[in-house]
Amino acid sequence: MDRQWTRAIWAAAMMAMTAPAASAQTPPACSAEAKPALPAALAGWATPAPLAAATDRDGVARATLVPGKAATVTLLPTPTVHYPLQPEKPGGSVSHGGLLAFTIARAGGYRVALGSAAWIDVVRDGKAVVSTAHGHGPACSTIRKMVDFSLEPGDYVLQISANATAELTVLIAPLP
Amino acid sequence: MPVRLLLAAAALAASAIAVAAARDDTAAAKVELGRRLFYDADLSVDGTMACATCHEQRRGFSDGNATHPGVTGAPGRRNVPGLANVAARAALTWGDPRVRTLEAQAAIPLFGTHPIEMGMKGHEAEIGKRLGADACYRAQFRAAFPSGGVIDATQVVTAIAAFQRTMISRDTPYDRYRAGRQDALSASQRAGLRAFATRGCTACHAGTDLTDDRFHAIAPPAANARDTGLAEITGRAADAGRFKTPGLRNVAVSAPYLHDGSAPMLADAIRRHDTARGLDDATIAALADFLTGLTDAAFLHDPRLSLPPPGCPRPLSPAAAPDAGRASAPRG
Repeated sequence: MDRQWTRAIWAAAMMAMTAPAASAQTPPACSAEAKPALPAALAGWATPAPLAAATDRDGVARATLVPGKAATVTLLPTPTVHYPLQPEKPGGSVSHGGLLAFTIARAGGYRVALGSAAWIDVVRDGKAVVSTAHGHGPACSTIRKMVDFSLEPGDYVLQISANATAELTVLIAPLP
Repeated sequence: MPVRLLLAAAALAASAIAVAAARDDTAAAKVELGRRLFYDADLSVDGTMACATCHEQRRGFSDGNATHPGVTGAPGRRNVPGLANVAARAALTWGDPRVRTLEAQAAIPLFGTHPIEMGMKGHEAEIGKRLGADACYRAQFRAAFPSGGVIDATQVVTAIAAFQRTMISRDTPYDRYRAGRQDALSASQRAGLRAFATRGCTACHAGTDLTDDRFHAIAPPAANARDTGLAEITGRAADAGRFKTPGLRNVAVSAPYLHDGSAPMLADAIRRHDTARGLDDATIAALADFLTGLTDAAFLHDPRLSLPPPGCPRPLSPAAAPDAGRASAPRG
């Protein structure tokens, strides 16, 4: 590429990237004492059981997450995961992902709580269910992200993508 | 005309056509490559964030959060702007008028530390390593940059900028109204448009994209404001609280609003402007209704701008992609 052009790009970018950091914000510090009491529906978050995610549709039945019970899920390198549906936010080759199965017995609102900002797709019959809300978990709860869905009874696949590490705590809880 | 001269002229013309065609091919290849890169989280240090993580097409390539945390989880500083007609913008960030090219802007989330977004500072070599490991990417980079060179950040931001230049929005009800279709806007929206013009909104939200690309304070800044906007760059007290006028295309789908995302609804954002002081609720509602007439549904669903399917885009010419038959690993 033209060297002058390259220099121009990076000169402008460098100026902006080295702006003063005086107004940078920091998240609140959390101590052990600061852990909030979670709502009853999320109480299972504190006692996750280990669960290995599946890499494809064939194996997902052996990776079942029970609503109301949290799991510390072992994920796989993204290039080894075969998603039934292309995730809306696919992870990069160095990220981690996987598939879990879950069953909804009663129609209603459900919340998927995650320990990271991983992307999730709830898939049924080859289609992603559109979420109804999303947000952060309670401060200092270690729940990083919560996504709400309105779900009918039936079998679903939870696609997890774009997670930084190979381990992720997940809980599906009915909304009050 | 002597035959030799004719042949020379024909050769020259053919050469010019070939050069032009090659340039067009390169431009198209850059756009295609840029689209794939825009959606690729391998441009973040831990593979979790792509440009599209924050710039969601259905929201006009903005975000549904007040600010978006980066890969470290540290909070973002400013609301994610939409990208409709971004190539026409003379200023590209909320508070820094020095960033005037899409290429320079694209480098900021990649490598910036104020705040850390995609976190690639200090990991620059990873870009070539990760992308170069993918046969499809190698072919795409060769097609986009035929003069060669290694896959690097400059090529990446150049391709992303080429893709962003195709983010063109010109099909809103407001556009159709301006073209003479009176019924393109409802009566309420037309009332809102009149208020928009008479209440001073157009002093800053001017032109077809409803921005003057300049930096203004919509109200006196709070004395304890953490983000001083333009003053952070200029050091001038008079610039405190000045932020770039955002364009308003697709504004109705890009909540929350203002530089810090502190206005959850359109009406809240309108009321935060000094110029809106004293407006009654009906006028505020009409203004908000007019703003819904700036939604370009075709842009929000244009498949040319959407997440590309996994694997190699088709068609890639065999010459440009000698090993493209070896599809890259599924990317999920």
